[in-house]
Amino acid sequence: MGFLAPWFLAGALAIGLPVYVHLLRRHKSIPLPFSSLMFFERGTQSSTKHQRLKYLLLFSLRAVIVLLLALAFASPFIRRPASKAHDRLLLLVVDRSLSMRSGTRFAEAKQQALRVLSGRHSGQKAQVMALGGQLEALTQPIEDDETLRSAINGLQPGDGRSNFGDLGRSVRALDEANHTPIDLHLFSDMQRSSVPGNFAEMVLPESTKLILHPTINRTEENFTVVSVDAPSQIADTKAARIRAVVAGYNSKAATKKVSLVIDGNTVTTKTVNLAENGTATVEFTGLDVPYGLSRCAVAIEGSDALPSDDQWRFAVRRSDPEHILLVRPASDTRSPLYVSAAIAAASQGAYLLQPMNSDTVTESDPTKYAYVILSDVPSLPIAFENALRKYVQGGGNVLMAVGTNAGRQGKLPLLGSGTGQPHLYTREGDPMSVGDLDRTHAALRETTGWTDTHFSFAANVDTNGMRILAKLTDGTPLLMDKQLGEGHVLILSSGFDNLTNDLPLSPAFVPFLDLATRYLSGTEHLSGARLVDEFVPLRSATTGNGPGASVDVIAPDGRRPLTLAEAATAQTLRLGSAGFYQVRFANGRDGLIGVNADTRESNLEILPPDVQQLWAGSANGNGGSTAVAAQNDTVRVSLWWYAMLVLFLVALAESIVAGQYLGTQREEA
Amino acid sequence: MQRFLDPAILASIGNLELLARTVVDGFVAGLHRSADFGFSQEFAEYRAYTPGEDPRHIDWNLFARTERTYLKRYRGETNSQVTVLLDASNSMKYTSHAVNKMDYARYAAAALMYMAIKYQRDAAGIVVFDDDVRDAVRPSTRQGQLYRVLAALDRAEPAARTNFANPMRHAHELLRRRGMVMVFSDFFGDPEEMVEAIEPLRYHGSEVTLFQVLDPKEIKPELRGPSVLEDMETGQVMEVIPDYAKNEYRRRLQAHLAAIEARARAAGMDYRLLVTDQPLDATLQAYLSLRKAVAA
Repeated sequence: MGFLAPWFLAGALAIGLPVYVHLLRRHKSIPLPFSSLMFFERGTQSSTKHQRLKYLLLFSLRAVIVLLLALAFASPFIRRPASKAHDRLLLLVVDRSLSMRSGTRFAEAKQQALRVLSGRHSGQKAQVMALGGQLEALTQPIEDDETLRSAINGLQPGDGRSNFGDLGRSVRALDEANHTPIDLHLFSDMQRSSVPGNFAEMVLPESTKLILHPTINRTEENFTVVSVDAPSQIADTKAARIRAVVAGYNSKAATKKVSLVIDGNTVTTKTVNLAENGTATVEFTGLDVPYGLSRCAVAIEGSDALPSDDQWRFAVRRSDPEHILLVRPASDTRSPLYVSAAIAAASQGAYLLQPMNSDTVTESDPTKYAYVILSDVPSLPIAFENALRKYVQGGGNVLMAVGTNAGRQGKLPLLGSGTGQPHLYTREGDPMSVGDLDRTHAALRETTGWTDTHFSFAANVDTNGMRILAKLTDGTPLLMDKQLGEGHVLILSSGFDNLTNDLPLSPAFVPFLDLATRYLSGTEHLSGARLVDEFVPLRSATTGNGPGASVDVIAPDGRRPLTLAEAATAQTLRLGSAGFYQVRFANGRDGLIGVNADTRESNLEILPPDVQQLWAGSANGNGGSTAVAAQNDTVRVSLWWYAMLVLFLVALAESIVAGQYLGTQREEA
Repeated sequence: MQRFLDPAILASIGNLELLARTVVDGFVAGLHRSADFGFSQEFAEYRAYTPGEDPRHIDWNLFARTERTYLKRYRGETNSQVTVLLDASNSMKYTSHAVNKMDYARYAAAALMYMAIKYQRDAAGIVVFDDDVRDAVRPSTRQGQLYRVLAALDRAEPAARTNFANPMRHAHELLRRRGMVMVFSDFFGDPEEMVEAIEPLRYHGSEVTLFQVLDPKEIKPELRGPSVLEDMETGQVMEVIPDYAKNEYRRRLQAHLAAIEARARAAGMDYRLLVTDQPLDATLQAYLSLRKAVAA
């Protein structure tokens, strides 16, 4: 038996406390005057001995509590013979991330896994798992050699990103569930980018022994397209601009050809010079795609270690410009100016703004527009408001700016939500800036510059039932999203007129309107590019599952990844591999999504050997001592929990005895 | 009016006469009757005159008609003699709340004296004793008797131990005339011996009432764990456990109380238990009923 923290045993000196309380202090009892002791007799106080016993019992329990506390803090442990080899689970984890497509890495990993499986002890259970975008269990812990071999042989490389943090979490969960010692064999290229930011996430349980099987021991040169900035929807093919960033990892200075590919045909090629481990930007002007959805890509030519990441796929929808209806008061001439300019800049002509006065909008049909903007409109004609409500409930969307006119009205049009006394920050002091932003929302994702904007006015909107996306620094909700039937209303509690704030002139305005337009027009998921292992919503949460609500998905390999039942009910689709996904959404709209691998997989730098050793060591306790422990065939078993359990029981007994001994004598009813 | 009888409230009144008046007035107001008990001039009976009796009470009108001498008797005409015997031993100092047993007995005796002298015109006296007579005021109806009695009550401070034998012998010599004797004590002693010591007071035809004054915590003691208790009279020290105090002690005390009451009643004496958190009217009630019995 040993102690991890033996200095805590000094706490046992606290036993002096019960000794003082019970043995020293008790002699100082002061006699209580009583009128007559004629009814008390010394001879009849026989139970005093019993009381003394109880008294000593209480003292003993308290002393034991102190000793157990000191013992528990000292973390006692005993050494026990290590479990026999066939008692340990053989866990074979094969890395099937994108980087394993490089050279013979994946084949080598499978061969090594099969060799380890061959050397398995008879009767030892084994389990095969694949580490890609997520850790997949390909078998249960079984002894059947044939099943295990076929699982390894059937493995195919994927396009996901491996993360050793995911592996650590999963093995920890496995250990907690089964309490079986594990021999974990990891067959991987040991990419440095697979290490999470916090090393602690990778740490494995003490009973797990990690054996690393690197498939390569050198870092290879690789070039890739890091990102492509392209419109997902265009109207004017000549005005469209595509900006691509290419990079070299562990590379020397090189000249590379970068091409724009549309539906499999290379339409433009440009040459870029890349510095050593450098990046370069390539810009293509004009995207001559036919009407409808087109499969586009930017590809970097030339051989490297990982050809799979040499192109970046994106889908573009070409259509005639769609109109956005902007309803504003007759006096507001600024909003159309700012909003129109921002949308034109963001969408590259895919959307046109159509401003209308609120008093002449009666006959307009909202369904003809991509979405509707209500810019500081205090009230709407009843007929239009009803048509707009029906439009939103049917799946249409509205962007509502609540400026000085609407904010003082007391009730918002369309929503009916109340508004309180608005905040006039210039009267109260300095203008407010943005405090909190919910960047998980599609309208705010990746936007910057919000914190530099200043708001002098903010309407006090009743946010009941709304998702708050942004707040000012004083906590006033600034941007809210409210679902109304199938559609959404995005509410900005300030105006677009550059009077109540400087948002229209800030760098955040154009990206915000770009994302908001994609979100509100419903084209966000219809085209563009995504990363492997991202999820795409297939239907809104309120869409029924009846006939006609089914979705249709065709994966890059031409197969349909969803079963019929899943197609009728699935809310989201995981984009499991790189390529183009054709999706028919539940609302009947068709989409084409270009899916690309995470660019972190393109960096083939391997984990330094010392870090690998550190990880392998941490999986078995204290690094080097692990090997010693293994040689001696003993494992350390902590007694902390047992000490705490006994402590709890003793404390319980102490409270019962003390309750009987010290409790006030009460009268029976 | 009940609050005028609450000993905890009365304890805040420093003046014993004021206290007694407060108690008696409160008590009388609660009766809803005239305060002059027995002092109406209501005719009761004629009795033949025997030589030696006071000729002032002869009904001369009747003599004129019948030439016989009769004494005319009125109800309540007869004044009684009330004597309080107050135990002032150390055990009477015990208290668990605002009023100790001695004070309670003092208040009760003061109220009794006040009622007897001011309302009933009775001759009242007091004997304060512990193991001997410490102070005594002979019963009298003289002017200023109330103040003498109250002064004796004021002076009475607990000291020494209780012993009924000596004090009762002296009291017997003091009380030659028939009347009412009220003994206030906690009666911690042998019931047989105590009653035997008090019993001679009845030989003159006096009505004797024993008022046993106890604190509520003497009846139901509460101990937080084993405690060391010290006898207030003997100084004896003893370790006592809560279980004993809760069970055996109470059983023994109840047996003691029952024994005193039984022995007292057997000796023709009345017995009342006074608990110091109870109102004082029990004493006055006992006095009035006793007086009625004496007058009859």
